[in-house]
Amino acid sequence: MISTIRRQLAKVTTPSLQGRVRGGSVCVLFLCLLISCTGISEEERYIYMPPVQSAHAVLIEDFTGQRCINCPNAALEIEKLKEQYGADTIIAVGIHSGPLAVFSRGNVLGLRTEEGDEYYEHWKIEQEPMGYINRRGSLATPDQWGTLVREAIQVPTDLKFTLAPVKDSLDNKLHVHMIIVNGDPIKGRLQLWLTESKITALQMMPDGTANQSYVHNHVFRRSINGTWGEDYTAAEGEIRDLDFECELDETWNPENLAVVAFIESANGVEQVAESAIIIQ
Amino acid sequence: MASLVKNLLLSACACALGAVSLPAQEEQKERATLSGSIQADILVPQEDKTIGAQKYNEWALANTYADLRLQSKYVDAGGRFEWNQFPLPGYEADFKGWGLGNFYTRAHWKNGTVTLGDFYEQFGSGFILRTYEERSLGIDNSLRGLHFAWNPFKGIALKVLSGRQRRYWEHNEAWVSGGDVELSLDEWIPSMSAHGRYLTIGGSYVNKYEEDEEIFVDATHRLNLPTLVHSFDVRARYQSGGWNLLAEYARKGQDPNFDNGYIYRPGYVAMLSGSYSQRGLSILLQAKRSDNMSFRSRRAMLGTSSMINHLPAFTLDHTYALAALYPYATNANGEWAYQAEFGYNFKRKTALGGKYGTTIKVNFSHVHAPAVEQKLLNGYMKGSDGYTSPFWSWGDEVYYQDLNVQFDKKLTADWKLNLMYMYQRYNKTAVEGEGGMINSHIIIGEAKWRISNKLTLRGEAQYLFTKDDEGDWAFGLLELSLNPHWMFTVSDMYNVGTTHNHYYQVGATYTVGAHRLQGAYGRTRAGFNCTGGVCRWIPATRGFTLSYNFNF
Repeated sequence: MISTIRRQLAKVTTPSLQGRVRGGSVCVLFLCLLISCTGISEEERYIYMPPVQSAHAVLIEDFTGQRCINCPNAALEIEKLKEQYGADTIIAVGIHSGPLAVFSRGNVLGLRTEEGDEYYEHWKIEQEPMGYINRRGSLATPDQWGTLVREAIQVPTDLKFTLAPVKDSLDNKLHVHMIIVNGDPIKGRLQLWLTESKITALQMMPDGTANQSYVHNHVFRRSINGTWGEDYTAAEGEIRDLDFECELDETWNPENLAVVAFIESANGVEQVAESAIIIQ
Repeated sequence: MASLVKNLLLSACACALGAVSLPAQEEQKERATLSGSIQADILVPQEDKTIGAQKYNEWALANTYADLRLQSKYVDAGGRFEWNQFPLPGYEADFKGWGLGNFYTRAHWKNGTVTLGDFYEQFGSGFILRTYEERSLGIDNSLRGLHFAWNPFKGIALKVLSGRQRRYWEHNEAWVSGGDVELSLDEWIPSMSAHGRYLTIGGSYVNKYEEDEEIFVDATHRLNLPTLVHSFDVRARYQSGGWNLLAEYARKGQDPNFDNGYIYRPGYVAMLSGSYSQRGLSILLQAKRSDNMSFRSRRAMLGTSSMINHLPAFTLDHTYALAALYPYATNANGEWAYQAEFGYNFKRKTALGGKYGTTIKVNFSHVHAPAVEQKLLNGYMKGSDGYTSPFWSWGDEVYYQDLNVQFDKKLTADWKLNLMYMYQRYNKTAVEGEGGMINSHIIIGEAKWRISNKLTLRGEAQYLFTKDDEGDWAFGLLELSLNPHWMFTVSDMYNVGTTHNHYYQVGATYTVGAHRLQGAYGRTRAGFNCTGGVCRWIPATRGFTLSYNFNF
């Protein structure tokens, strides 16, 4: 068949056309070789970057859901970042929200909240897992978090937080005392959230199976000073002494609760801090 | 820079329009034609907590397009104005906006064309390049740049292009360039065409140049990303009598991206498709193996935008409501896909054909996961080859399977009957992220009654049986056509199994000349809308819809 075609081609085409066809064939072969043989070898795939000085704690808002099969990978990415930069530097909040999250119903322990859904809608989340790193730039997938965290921790800040969340063992109220030491003048919003860790509940896994014993950490439970926080304005060097109070749900384990506080300006999150609850 | 390029292109378009319109008015009036179209889809949404239809801030949502094309003997020009400031629900956030989304000017002569501006193109089956517009999915991945097509000799077609890809209201930074050559050997070999044999071979090359960016593997290492990604495609099509055979292979070089988890494994797709048809009989057999072939003009992108290539789904695009309830979306990371179809028309005045003939069609498709073995580098997925997966490997997971039998029969001069049975396996976890395997049996009956020359009534009854997901579904439809202008439709889709929700629709369509106006009120279920293996999630809605189409 091929030899017949070759003979027929020789009859009907001019020598210059045959030359072009041969040239084209050589080009195709060259491209095949180029794509098959070129590439970056395993030894060359990582570029060393000098470690950076951490000047800033970083807030990762992890939009997640118990029915989201890729979300456990995002949780692993957070754990990896905490190992690399330290748990004080990486402060994560898992916001269970959107259609892949689950509300509690019957015997099912769901971690979805209406406030979480409000954030989900506000930030126009379209897929999970998705994250906001210090609310700078745009939403990012977990693959990009490492890059964005590295950038964010280098941003200098002169804001300092001291958090003291205390729960009286006799009631279900949480009292938060907060001291903010300001550097430059600032105008923004102050937000306090309550999170809970070590919650054992259903999670769909990347292989499609349902893991009933999955342990969820830093799960958003509620806001302490309103869904969108409160206005915050301070003069240069001003020291602010603030108190907050909120009710705790009886189903939450106080020993695993923590308060996350951050100030957000037009530049994103200026400073963030986290403190476990002290039970007195 | 981007705005400068845009301004230059707009100026070129304007010049072309001017250059064409003057001779059009003076000497070549008969050669210049103006054509275009308007499409507007409007929803006046209402909140409906029963089905999860949310409240919107806007009283109406709309997608509107207006196309204008001016064609002359040597130069064409055109553009599209889009107004999607308050888009219909379910489109990606960046879809919102308005403006001149597409414009071009094109010079053409006997055997070639040069296009400056926005253009669409497909090489072969689209494995390495397919730019297209699909409004129902919100896709317009056209390239903005230069396109050159030339037929230098009989039987040779050449294409060369370079441009930046549209992503909603911006263009990605990466440059996509390539070329395609297609040789029609039957045009050179008279004995082939004389015997009704046709042989076409083709080859394409596409590359993407995208600047480096920092993707960190850990606190002190980032990926050494390839800035130039190469891909090629070779194919051959042979046709003789009723036989048609297509073999195609495409390969993509290292392209670490979000879709593949930033692995460096090259990708490929191989396809073999054969069909045979003669009067009353048709057979189709297809097989496709793909691996790591997601090819985007932005490596960190997710969702439906910025795709350079297209991987067709080897499954039937169903039009019946319940058959399309669980549609399959192609898995770009890799799959084995098979499709077989057999169609036969029993002739008139035979035992099975009856007075008017009978058509039976059987279609089977099966999409399966290949077996993969993870292969990490220093304990990391990023930067590794990702996995090994031999070509013939067969994994444990079925992604999709569909066996359907369709039976079409004209009973009398005025009655026509279509019956369909379908068995479907839909891996909801693989396609949507959760939900497990859904096994369903679907039966459908459709009848059409021509009451008079002006009046036709069509009805559908459908039922889906499943113990999975939301359980059984039922669907009914009545459609009355009053030729030549009016059509009235009423339908209801009812979830029998779990929610017991009704998704009713009542509508009317009026067509006159090139105008078509459609109005409806009802509920739409949340779910995927798929075309050619690409899907878009549509949230539940309730409200009035109005659609207007005009072509001129």
